[in-house]
Amino acid sequence: MGIDGLIILDNSGRSVIQSGFRSTTPAYPILQIDAVQHPSNADIPSACCHIACGDLRILCPISGNVDPLLGFAFIRTFVDVFEEYFGGVSLAAVKENFDVVYQLLEETLDSVGHPLTTSHNALRDIVLPPSLFSKLVNAALTSNLAGIGGSGPMHGPPVGPFSSPIPWRKAGLKYASNELYIDIAEELRAIVNKQGVPLSSNVFGKLEANCRLSGTPDCVLTFTNPQVMQDTSFHPCVRLQRWTREKSMSFVPPDGHFVLSEYRYAPSSTLAKFRGANPSSSVGVLPSKEVVPVPFAIKAKFEIEDTAASFNVTFSSRLTTRPIENVVVEFSLGEGAHAIKCVASRESGGLGRGLSSLETGMSASSMASWAFDSRKKVLRWEIPNVPPSTHWSLQGSFAASTTPPRPSHALQVRFDIQSHTFSALKVDQLKITGEGYKPYKGVRGRSSGNVEWRW
Amino acid sequence: MSIRGPRKGENYELSVDLNSEYREKRKDAIKRVIASMTVGKDVSGLFPDVLKNMQTDDLEQKKLVYLYLINYAKTQPELVILAVNTFVKDSDDPNPLVRALAIRTMGCLRAEKIIDYLCDPLQKALRDENPYVRKTAALCVAKLYDLKPELVIENGFLEQLHEMISDSNPMVVANTVAALTDIHSASTANQPSTSSDSSTAFHITTPILNKLLVALNECSEWGRVAILNALGRYQAQDDKESEHICERVVPQFQHINGSVVLAAVKVVMIHLRKVRREELEKQLIRKMAPPLVTLLSSPPEVQWVALRNINLLLQKRPEILSNEMRVFFCKYNDPLYVKVEKLDIMVRLAHERNVDALLSELKEYASEVDVDFVRKSVKAIGQTAVKIEEAAEKCVNVLLDLIATRVSYVVQEAIVVMKDIFRKYPSTYEGVIPTLCANLDELDEPEAKASLIWIIGEYANKIENADDLLTLFVDSFTEEAYPVQLQTLTAVVKLFLKKPDSSQGIVQRVLNTATKDCDSPDVRDRAYIYWRLLSMDPAAAKSVVLSHRPPISIPRTTVAPAVLEELIGEIGSLASVYHKPAETFIGKGRLGADAMQKRAVEEADESQLSTQKALQTVVAGQQSENLLDFGDEPSTDGGGLSGLAATQTMLSQPAAANLIAGTSSNPLDDLVSIFGNVSMQPMSATPTPAPSQAAFGFGQPPSAAPGGAFGGLMTPTVSGSSTSPPTQQQQKPEEDLLGLF
Repeated sequence: MGIDGLIILDNSGRSVIQSGFRSTTPAYPILQIDAVQHPSNADIPSACCHIACGDLRILCPISGNVDPLLGFAFIRTFVDVFEEYFGGVSLAAVKENFDVVYQLLEETLDSVGHPLTTSHNALRDIVLPPSLFSKLVNAALTSNLAGIGGSGPMHGPPVGPFSSPIPWRKAGLKYASNELYIDIAEELRAIVNKQGVPLSSNVFGKLEANCRLSGTPDCVLTFTNPQVMQDTSFHPCVRLQRWTREKSMSFVPPDGHFVLSEYRYAPSSTLAKFRGANPSSSVGVLPSKEVVPVPFAIKAKFEIEDTAASFNVTFSSRLTTRPIENVVVEFSLGEGAHAIKCVASRESGGLGRGLSSLETGMSASSMASWAFDSRKKVLRWEIPNVPPSTHWSLQGSFAASTTPPRPSHALQVRFDIQSHTFSALKVDQLKITGEGYKPYKGVRGRSSGNVEWRW
Repeated sequence: MSIRGPRKGENYELSVDLNSEYREKRKDAIKRVIASMTVGKDVSGLFPDVLKNMQTDDLEQKKLVYLYLINYAKTQPELVILAVNTFVKDSDDPNPLVRALAIRTMGCLRAEKIIDYLCDPLQKALRDENPYVRKTAALCVAKLYDLKPELVIENGFLEQLHEMISDSNPMVVANTVAALTDIHSASTANQPSTSSDSSTAFHITTPILNKLLVALNECSEWGRVAILNALGRYQAQDDKESEHICERVVPQFQHINGSVVLAAVKVVMIHLRKVRREELEKQLIRKMAPPLVTLLSSPPEVQWVALRNINLLLQKRPEILSNEMRVFFCKYNDPLYVKVEKLDIMVRLAHERNVDALLSELKEYASEVDVDFVRKSVKAIGQTAVKIEEAAEKCVNVLLDLIATRVSYVVQEAIVVMKDIFRKYPSTYEGVIPTLCANLDELDEPEAKASLIWIIGEYANKIENADDLLTLFVDSFTEEAYPVQLQTLTAVVKLFLKKPDSSQGIVQRVLNTATKDCDSPDVRDRAYIYWRLLSMDPAAAKSVVLSHRPPISIPRTTVAPAVLEELIGEIGSLASVYHKPAETFIGKGRLGADAMQKRAVEEADESQLSTQKALQTVVAGQQSENLLDFGDEPSTDGGGLSGLAATQTMLSQPAAANLIAGTSSNPLDDLVSIFGNVSMQPMSATPTPAPSQAAFGFGQPPSAAPGGAFGGLMTPTVSGSSTSPPTQQQQKPEEDLLGLF
């Protein structure tokens, strides 16, 4: 079908491990590696999908007129499998478990390019994960490989692989304690203009489930406000007809971690069923009803002179009950920026002692810090915890070798908020039928954001 | 390595361990062998030792040995035969994993000697009770076909595969479909002319279709992609069936895997062609939008692939994402390749209601640091102005704001863009001309200079100091780039035609310089044409130089309609990402295969493919003729030429003429004419003597007989019969020339 194979490179560009490449010439993978490293002399009649992952780069050459997304999707799936097996993607993990990685390559990708078994559940049956025991024997205990094996499911009577009638769930699972957790994870992506008005804002949500249930349970997940979920996509286990009919998710879950559903939350489309039929106002901003509120406000003031510039950025939380966590504000100062001096401080709402040291960029009172990446010319301002209704500021100046200095007009803000969802999606009930036990169920929300704030 | 290596070193130690009496030690040694293999060390010398460990109950060890075998089977084929017995034995193992592993490995070995032993176990595996074994066996048939097609046909594996489409397990169905598709494409590639096609070809019939549609909802993501690709090849019997397929495929839009989504979009786009019910069509198109938007929340690489596909889909179905423009707003941190695609799509999605948001966004981009992106943003403003008449004035205002920033590349790009706006809306925005002219000194790029000169020439009668401005360029004429020279020449002639009294001197000067001191044949020839036109028939000159130009428009498609149709049928594939038919970037053998495949289909059911193909050829022809068609440019429907292309083509016209002259059947004529020109023009102040035939053919008023303009050139003897007046005059110069000789 067109995936020629998989090559894993280390960060110096050497091939660490690769799949068989049996239907191509031996030189083919080498050419591909060369083409990725020197894009200018790429002269092969095929394409190569590649992504960086941890300290590795994973290449997936495709040939013929195939869907490049197939390559990307396969890489992503392989990375998922890898993480499930070894707890993380790293060079050390590959070197430590080359035999397992080889087996995984064999099982997931056919020699003529058809992806084979990629579901964790089925793979577990045919490729044994590195167990704690074998690692002890090999005297190769590396911390990042732990986490698998020990607390795994206890197998019931031996059942053959692929004997399960449900392809994503293996038969005969048994757990001592039955649990099903669902995380509602939402990410806000927004662009906000100078006036603080969102130009575009979208919330992409995911229902991440961790299922440790015995037997073959049948779950029904209902919501109090399912209409906030737009553009839904589902794990194949979800019965689509039931969703279209009554907006409840009915499924027999796979074992372990999986993404049950993805959706987009767009207030505009819930309010106005007929999309965009309302002529939006003539100014270039969204009508207020269509906007997902951004949980903070930024005021940025830049004063630009001939060869230097000073700035004052304030970050204020608009939330009143919850803290915003892991706030990272980044912006480029432009080519030739140097001599950066900043003070990161907390302005109000706390003990603003103003003890700050320029050298380390660490303010003792606030724990806010800044750093400058001199290679990318990006200034990074971090505030680990912003309590409700507080204001934080970053004042600074820099000199530039180009005239005038051209800092970027966009601040990139990332943040997390625990136990909060933008869509206010609420689970009404999670019913599990078909098995006798009483499982432990849990649902929680978490939000993150990636906002571009222009000044 | 038939001779054993020295009795020391790593390989020797491994060999000892492989022969150890302890199980754990042997297994550990195998792992070490595989590790050495991974880092590229040659461990092929250990082949016999490793082979000894093949018969084992330990599945993991067996797999590792198989891995080793697969890797070295090519270099040690004669040793692989030793493994055959174990393989055959393993294919009867009670453990289905072992059975499947044996079948898969035998298929992978690609050794002639093994293959003969493969058939019997494969036969059994295809009927195995375990679905895992069956699906492995199905793929193995395709591999066997690749190595020895006759074995597949002799053993009736194909019939068996066709039966397996009805298998109860969806994964088996999916793999069977994949195998059949592989065999189908391999057979059409290898033996296109033989009649055995009928047996190896994978024709999807109605009963197969229904089985595929059932399996589609139950198999893995990769299986879905394989089945969807097969559905894309299906020729629906009637519109009812097409509707049925679309309705069954639509739920796949909600799959989490992006490649499934794109494959589903492809199937729906293909079968949508036959859907007659309008409300269903609308509904399908509406359902297509959400999954495409969702793809944009992926990492940039995936986004780019999605954006390229969206761009193509929009050319076919502009209504798909008409209310989703904001999703495409660029973020500062987006990689350039994503930004550029987004920009293009935003312009495609622009309409009266969202144009304000778009313009403020584009203005924002124009203040960014990346020069390429800034230029593209400015260009996008111009495209918006040309596309949406109501917004043109706003666009012009934005452009004026940008010009006021005085950032060199912004100003220059804005001026280039203004030229297109003047083309589209003649005599509407004359008020901005002084602002443009004020930036004249700052221009250093040929395209910007040429654009400004064109504007000056076009509005020469409205600009008071037009002759002063043009004089500047005439002064530096020989130092300018050729496009600037050409524009200067034309602009001065326009000026002369509009204000004959004040500009006699400048036109004389520019014609002199262009004919005498200029080393570009294009510039020189154009100057001759003008000179001759002006001297012989100023009225004709007026009708040529000042002729009415059709307004330009933004092309709705970037590829020819027939190519677009073909690409839409391949949504998701590399072809649709590159916006090029697959034949153009996949090797030559591939082209033959595809062509044959299409021919086979045509023969089978005289489908619309043939007409499509013919259409395509016609279009391809038209495209290649575009260059030649230069002469009748004003009469072409502006739709074919983009705003920029229109002017570019204008510049390239002389080049085309020259090219044709060069390849004319009568090279002597050209030579003669060139020499004739050079030697004669300067002597006579009034250019009465013969310009070259080439020049004459070119100078023909474009309004006359489209396409005939070059007729005179290509076949000089026929030219006399042409009806247009200038051609009749051609006779004389020709005689002159001859006389000279």
